[in-house]
Amino acid sequence: MSDAILVIGGGIAGINCAMNVAKYGTKVYLVDDTASIGGMMARLDKTFPTNDCSICIEAPQMYDVDNHENIKILTNTEVRKVKKVNGEFQVRLVTKPKFVDEEKCTGCGACVEACPVSVPDEMDGKIGGKRKLVSMAFPQAVPNVVSVDPACRHGEMRKAGACIGDCKVDCSQCRECPIALCVMACEKEGKKAITHWQSSKNMKIDVKSIVVATGITDAKPVGDLLGYDVYKNVITNAQFERLMNAGGPTAGEIIRPSDSKHAKKIAWIQCAGRGLAEGKGTPYCSKICCMISTKQTIITKEHDPAVETTVFYNDLKAYGKGFWEFYRKAVDNGVDYVRARPYEVFEDPETKNLTLKYEDLESGELEIKEVELLVLASGIISNKRNKKLAKVLKLELDHLGFFKEKNPLTAPLETKVDGIYLCGGATGPIDIAESVVQASAAAMLALQNNLQVKS
Amino acid sequence: MVENIRIGVFVCDCGSNIAGVVNVPDVVDYARGLDHVVLADEGRWSCSVDYLSKMQDLIKEHQINRVVVASCTPRTHEPLFKRTVKEAGVNPYLLEFVSIREQVSWVHMQEPEIATEKAKDLVKMGVAKAALLEEGQEIRLPVKTDCLIIGGGMAGMSAALNVADQGFNAVLVEKEPQLGGIMNQLCFISHDHYKSPAAILVESKAAQVHAHPNVTVYTDTHLETVEGYIGNYRVTLKPNGDGSSGNIDVSTVVVATGMQELEPEGQFLYGDDPRVVTQLQLDRMLRDKAVQDVKSVVIINCVNSKNETRGCCSIGCHTSVKNAIALKTLHKNASVQILYRDLSMVKEEGDALEKAKKIGIKFLRFPDDRYPVVATENKNLIVQVFDLLIGKEFKLPADLVVLTTAFKGDETVEHIKGLLKVSSNADGFFQESHVKLGPLEFPADGISLCGCAKAPMTFKESCEAGTGAAMKVSIPMKRGYVEAEGIVADIDLANCNQCSICWKRCPYSAIKVDAEKNPEVIKALCKGCGLCAADCPKECISIVHYSDEQVMAQVEAALEDDPDRKIIGFVCHWCALGGVDMAGVSRLQYPSNARLIRVMCSARVSIKMMQHAFDLGAAGVLVAGCEFPTCHYITGNYAAEKRIKRTKSKLAKAGYDPERLWNIWCSAADGPKFAGTMREMVKELNLK
Repeated sequence: MSDAILVIGGGIAGINCAMNVAKYGTKVYLVDDTASIGGMMARLDKTFPTNDCSICIEAPQMYDVDNHENIKILTNTEVRKVKKVNGEFQVRLVTKPKFVDEEKCTGCGACVEACPVSVPDEMDGKIGGKRKLVSMAFPQAVPNVVSVDPACRHGEMRKAGACIGDCKVDCSQCRECPIALCVMACEKEGKKAITHWQSSKNMKIDVKSIVVATGITDAKPVGDLLGYDVYKNVITNAQFERLMNAGGPTAGEIIRPSDSKHAKKIAWIQCAGRGLAEGKGTPYCSKICCMISTKQTIITKEHDPAVETTVFYNDLKAYGKGFWEFYRKAVDNGVDYVRARPYEVFEDPETKNLTLKYEDLESGELEIKEVELLVLASGIISNKRNKKLAKVLKLELDHLGFFKEKNPLTAPLETKVDGIYLCGGATGPIDIAESVVQASAAAMLALQNNLQVKS
Repeated sequence: MVENIRIGVFVCDCGSNIAGVVNVPDVVDYARGLDHVVLADEGRWSCSVDYLSKMQDLIKEHQINRVVVASCTPRTHEPLFKRTVKEAGVNPYLLEFVSIREQVSWVHMQEPEIATEKAKDLVKMGVAKAALLEEGQEIRLPVKTDCLIIGGGMAGMSAALNVADQGFNAVLVEKEPQLGGIMNQLCFISHDHYKSPAAILVESKAAQVHAHPNVTVYTDTHLETVEGYIGNYRVTLKPNGDGSSGNIDVSTVVVATGMQELEPEGQFLYGDDPRVVTQLQLDRMLRDKAVQDVKSVVIINCVNSKNETRGCCSIGCHTSVKNAIALKTLHKNASVQILYRDLSMVKEEGDALEKAKKIGIKFLRFPDDRYPVVATENKNLIVQVFDLLIGKEFKLPADLVVLTTAFKGDETVEHIKGLLKVSSNADGFFQESHVKLGPLEFPADGISLCGCAKAPMTFKESCEAGTGAAMKVSIPMKRGYVEAEGIVADIDLANCNQCSICWKRCPYSAIKVDAEKNPEVIKALCKGCGLCAADCPKECISIVHYSDEQVMAQVEAALEDDPDRKIIGFVCHWCALGGVDMAGVSRLQYPSNARLIRVMCSARVSIKMMQHAFDLGAAGVLVAGCEFPTCHYITGNYAAEKRIKRTKSKLAKAGYDPERLWNIWCSAADGPKFAGTMREMVKELNLK
């Protein structure tokens, strides 16, 4: 009989949950459906309200998780089926291929250099971030191995210049590849880690408890909301975060997408898409965006105090310890906060500058403001994969797509299925510290459940 | 006993990642000629399973008792090699890791000869240190299963139940006659109007606590003294009033002392006019059904919040909406108005706001710098308020004014923080160990923090934090011990002059003193930052694996040849080395003058170490630590910064140009910053 716990999601909540359980002495499967653990936090530059460097504080925890004897990390892995038998869960996991032998890959990057095709990075696309068809999720990735874009392996990138794809034989049939540059680069290094013939792996595990830590997603503005889809120099909070990150695609240079020039006038629009119907925007207050934008203005000013920064907002959410002081720091550093309702954005086709039309809520006047870069605080939404997972786990989602608690008052973080618990962004918009608290609480609940179903 | 030192050096090719730039066979040959080296070997992929077992065979065959691995970066691969040498019978603390990929081949790609020379230097430094390495071991301190929980509110009760459910003993101390804390004053919880009265939530939890065989409850009792540390707390409890005090021994502590309203004495006629009340008073009135037939209620939010001295109270917005709805439901014809600055209602709290608007509660926004004024006219209460959105001042008649006030920590905080040697902020809320990643902990092991003792929280958040805090203290209780890595401080009392610097500056309270002020390191609590060792004026503190002799040996080895073109860099293991590694991963090319020496924290670098490098003719010295405010040892980089200033003036007195001592604070993403600093230093110091 297994005494293990399954943690679904390897972001900061999942990592902390797993670490608590492992230190307690119980085995953990930490499952993430992306190529690396780390989640949203690994993409951030800084964390509010202290401006700690995000990866600096998260990476050591990632390495600890990786090195803990009680933790088995499974990346690229989905939970497909869960069956409850005698109080225990029989779980079927599917690991999608990275087309790389994780045991052999050392993350040296020779294959990445050899790969001839760059494509826009999913997250950093609009700000010029690119990745190769074989790539590492980010430099500190855990496990520190590359993965091959399935589109390449499936032959879909041939037109873009990929070296493989028009063979008569499907890659899954070969056990070597004389044409793939990544394979050859790897062999030249004396490794045979790239395996285009790799297929999905099924795995069955038995666990006593499950913790859902699937995290949050940054909302992408839908359509031409405030010019997002139309104008190059309109980006989101998440994209701006990558822009100011020394480890991001611009090496921390705050330059605008249209001409790669340093942006000297930047505006942030809070609650962009708020109040719009579901599917078109973020219908509720996402709690953390005010502080995200405040952080971004402060860091922008640290890069260059001469940059003009304006935040258009309605209600300022400065709810946590030190948050209001953080806002005041921004104001002291010269950030302009304007209570306003922006309603339209126009781009000057020559300069690619953006003119924002807004109603100043204090004066009641209609005003305009021209900026070089516009950042939309488009909010935080639930992970879109929650729906599928909820079905597998037989859990309910609320109308916003977050997992429903059994009773937020008397049974917080518990679900209607005994033995399944929630933490972090799976429950709603949340910041890192709150996620860490919930992660510890969910770990405790799961361990208590393990004690109870002692067979 | 003088041990015969036999060093094995393993140099990795990392495929062509190292060998493509560095002439590895040449480095291996060079290593063979170094003192104490009995074997040097080249590995194509040192981290591969095949090579690791070959390494183990070689260690055994050549009776190697010190190992130097020259390969990638210790940040990712040191644990692997530590395990490997341990399995081969070598104490893992006798391994020295040298980074010749991130620090050499990836950053000096165009200069293979210079890169090879630098790799040799780094190996030489590693061997010099390895020869002086001493065995270390993890240090354990036994921890039993008794936990003291201070405060019997929702957070404390949640913590107690979770501790007790595992079979551990929970001792719950509450200063009031009954359990429940601030919840005892509430009518309803904001999430769930009228469905769950606060009293019922408290009663059911308190009943569970009282009924639990593993929970001992002391109500109407306060803490007199607490002495000791994790595993060894001696606590004196005293009943309020006349009772005599008694001692208990516990292993862990949960702080859940809660919060109280900051009464706005003298403001808004509070205290002068009984019709002006706080939210908590209103809650009590609602609970006791004591709200008279009101016609007009004005609620003023952000009283003493969000100003120069205090932040957002976190819970005022939804408290005001909750109580407004309660009032409006009781007195349908009453006018209820909320005067606010910002309304922050998250997710489903937004639904409560919609409901409030629907049933006719009015909202009026006033400017941050122009608060409403409460006055009496002909004995009637009047609230004057400037509506920001309409741009006009209104006079609102009121027969009840409710102030949504700020909160402060409990009045026992000052006493308790002294007992536990932890800190709090100006408002009496305890300071957690890390704002983001240590929200339930204090720097010292074994003490956890939860609920409104940290900051104002909702009911749900407090319960979650209580459960989370129970998790934190349960780990050492379940394991039966707390364990420290072997890298710890060791004090030789022979030279100690009882100056008290070490124990006063230790960020983890890991040094205790006896009656004669003789310090002693509680090794299981020491994190090995080395701050004490670097600050000790008598140099009587040594850090395992980072002793003065070992670091000095590295400095000396690095500066044996051509010191005038070399920079000695002391780099902290966490962020700064992360930045160095990032420069490597990003293949940022920079001059090869630096010889980096890893320390756990920049606070380890003593004045003597820096000056020693200059004495030996170093062109420059760089100290690199974590970017502020991040430090893996809480405040090590701040200490380092101060010490660097002192060093500069000392250097000037000794006749050295203090401008040759540089420092940077860099994050683990700051590859470009580190590479840039290298270029700048070389330029400013006129180096080749």
